[in-house]
Amino acid sequence: MNMQTPVKSTTINGVTYNAEAGQRPVRVDSCTTIVELFQKRCADLGPKTIHREKDLGIWKEFTWNDYWNHALWIGMGLRKLGLKRGEVVSILSEDRKEWAYFDMGIQSVGGIASGVYTTDSGSQLNYLVNDSGSRFLVVENEEQLDKFLTHEDEMPSLLKVIILEDEGLHDLDHPRCMLISELYEIGKAADAEDPNAFEAEIAIAKPEDTALLIYTSGTTGMPKGAMLGHENIMAAIEAGARRLAVLETDEQLCFLPLCHILERDVSIYFPLAGKCIVNFAESPETVFNNLQEVSPNTFTAVPRVWEKIYSQVLIMVQEATPAGRLAYGLAMKAGQKRAGYLIGGKPVPAGVAANFWLWDKLVLRNLRRMLGFDRMRRGGTGAAPISPELLKWYWSIGVPLVEGYGMTETAGLATMNTRHENTVGTIGMPIPGYDLRIADDGEIQTKGLNNFQGYWRNNEKTAETFTDDGWLRTGDVGSVNDAGFVTITGRLKDIIITAGGKNITPAEIESRLKFSHYISDAVIIGDRRKFLTALIMIDQENVEKYAQDQKVPFSNFASLCAAKEVKDLIEAEVKSVNKEFARVEQIKDFRLIDVLLTAEDEELTATMKLKRSYVEKAHSHLIEEMY
Amino acid sequence: MSDPILKIRNIESFYGPIMAIRGVSLDVHQGRIVSILGANGAGKTTLMKTISGVMDPEKGQIIFEGLEIQGREPHKIVHDGIVHVPEGREVFPLMTVEENLALGAFTRSDSHGIERDREMVFDYFPILKERRNQEAGTLSGGQQQMLAIGRGLMGKPKVMLLDEPSLGLSPLLVKEIFTILKRLNDEQNMTMMLVEQNASAALELAHDGYVMEVGRIVMDGTADELMKSEDIQNFYLGVQEDGAREQRRWKRKKTWR
Repeated sequence: MNMQTPVKSTTINGVTYNAEAGQRPVRVDSCTTIVELFQKRCADLGPKTIHREKDLGIWKEFTWNDYWNHALWIGMGLRKLGLKRGEVVSILSEDRKEWAYFDMGIQSVGGIASGVYTTDSGSQLNYLVNDSGSRFLVVENEEQLDKFLTHEDEMPSLLKVIILEDEGLHDLDHPRCMLISELYEIGKAADAEDPNAFEAEIAIAKPEDTALLIYTSGTTGMPKGAMLGHENIMAAIEAGARRLAVLETDEQLCFLPLCHILERDVSIYFPLAGKCIVNFAESPETVFNNLQEVSPNTFTAVPRVWEKIYSQVLIMVQEATPAGRLAYGLAMKAGQKRAGYLIGGKPVPAGVAANFWLWDKLVLRNLRRMLGFDRMRRGGTGAAPISPELLKWYWSIGVPLVEGYGMTETAGLATMNTRHENTVGTIGMPIPGYDLRIADDGEIQTKGLNNFQGYWRNNEKTAETFTDDGWLRTGDVGSVNDAGFVTITGRLKDIIITAGGKNITPAEIESRLKFSHYISDAVIIGDRRKFLTALIMIDQENVEKYAQDQKVPFSNFASLCAAKEVKDLIEAEVKSVNKEFARVEQIKDFRLIDVLLTAEDEELTATMKLKRSYVEKAHSHLIEEMY
Repeated sequence: MSDPILKIRNIESFYGPIMAIRGVSLDVHQGRIVSILGANGAGKTTLMKTISGVMDPEKGQIIFEGLEIQGREPHKIVHDGIVHVPEGREVFPLMTVEENLALGAFTRSDSHGIERDREMVFDYFPILKERRNQEAGTLSGGQQQMLAIGRGLMGKPKVMLLDEPSLGLSPLLVKEIFTILKRLNDEQNMTMMLVEQNASAALELAHDGYVMEVGRIVMDGTADELMKSEDIQNFYLGVQEDGAREQRRWKRKKTWR
């Protein structure tokens, strides 16, 4: 750390940052590590609310003091039980306040926090624990505990398993398992024995220390653990403040897995700087209800969630009275007109604004209230491509929705549109203080302080990920326009070379397919083949609705996929997509995946995207049918 | 297989604003026993009521022997040959067994046929013959169930809809009644649609099965196929998966494959 040169600072929404982004040391309110910032916030904000969680139907509030105390007990407890600096603790739980408590507690005493998806199987957990050499494992409940118990002999590195919910486990007597209440007691005792040790551990942390490990889903091969240091996250916080500002008065809803860098940034690290309140959704199934209850000021989600909300509204409109439909149509017209100006960054003419004001009062405001968007200042989307039409629709109903891009290896952020600098269909401009270039083969490469440290115990893969001059290979192919906005066309390694020798980026076609209301995901096949084909996963809800409206009989999902009318429907969608592409890029044939995949299936990532290699393998019979 | 005797296509039924059946399609073939499984509130009874005309569907068709019958009056549907044996027996308690049976033949006028069918009912359920002059309300639960089935048979049905015939009965009685249903199917080639909570008994008896959840069919197949499905075994047949601990409480998610 070079403290000699005084760094100029600037204040954004009441928090000071370096005046110039991307400079070492990255400072947020003069703190240079996550845990230092955590300590400062807890001391300053003590009795104020940071978290809310629903308990037996009632939202309960938890303060920064709770945050500090529990993290301290966890940190001191784990230290007492044998956690050393630089060792990993794995967390296998749905989103809840304890996730944040553990994240901070572990990091404060120099440990490395690593999240495991609750949808992972016992053997996947086994791999992650062993690959990371985890010393402790945190499990949410008995269901997750059983994943450990089925493989317990294969995880020798684990000292203890800590259980968050004791329901159904009162009789459990296992030498390597303990309840969180016991850990708190050990932590309290350790703190009493050695007061200020926790603060001393925090003070030792350096920006270059590894703070967390995030396993990337890895569409090929086993998952790799990306190491992110304090500096990486602080750089992400710094960029976030400039691009995704949160205010102290903001309410947020945390519902995507915290194992994923996107939710982790937005719901744990950015609030450390922005001081906003994080509400934890009860479960992935109740997100839409929780959204209404919380009515967040900012909301970050994946395209699938935005699509779902849009479909719900469409269905509501279809089933509304004729007068209701008419009002919706007129309101949307007013909204679209205004959105046209807003998205282009142009001032809205008074007449358009007045017309919108009227329809907003009559229709759109109520619609937003129904969806839980009535306080929404900004919506964010990332982790997968989103349809430009969908973005425009949200702007039209008065929800400014912007797209961004990032990956685990860039600490979650790389480029971002903002409400004021926004080009629909692009992923925005690089975040401040971050460099981006397009390599000769079209690959997007980046350089900056948020680029990760490397893969855990895997120097070979780390070396492959960086160029000789230190730029990160994102693996994505894209371009930058004159104004500096970046567009992604696909994944480099997914490029299909047809038997005719033509290079095709399948993601471009796949995204276009996915923009259809009826298609939830698609995989283009055609490598070393004569022509392109597609495996398509239909959107269950919308296609069921279509079948029902068209009187197409079906019983279960497989028979729905087998119905001729459904095939015709998808064929029409495929044809309309084909019109936008060149002759060699035409999809000649397709098959529907007729099993309803769940997050537990290998074919899907945790964010419900199809994994190409697994899909190709699992459905090879469908592929061979087409050739 | 020949054309199904009863075809249901995209039925939607409502209780006021609540959609109880959200698009159900299924087939019942002549001489088969089709079992509908599902938890409480899945829409099984509503489906039965919609078929027998007690409720009118908002959308969809019910095709019986090639003719659309949805929305028709219940007594016409009985006359067409679909008889509904309702949940909870619902015999007329103050009437005698014979009177109850006579009511079952209300839509018929062929006195010889009626007489023959009554003998058939007494043949299958000898206890009813013994108690023919007793008030139905004084019968035991199992006997009332037998009477309800017998009353149904008196309508000379082509298809019987049986709503939870095992409800509230002892395992021994369930076995007895199901054996009689099996005989009816074997000897009279009676087509039946059976709603059951008692999944193992139902799958034992049935040829085909459908599983309903919140108003939709999530799985279908022959009874053998369903019995082999892990989901059915876990959620309907009470088979415990081998877990890591003895007192496992959680269940894995249903996938319906």
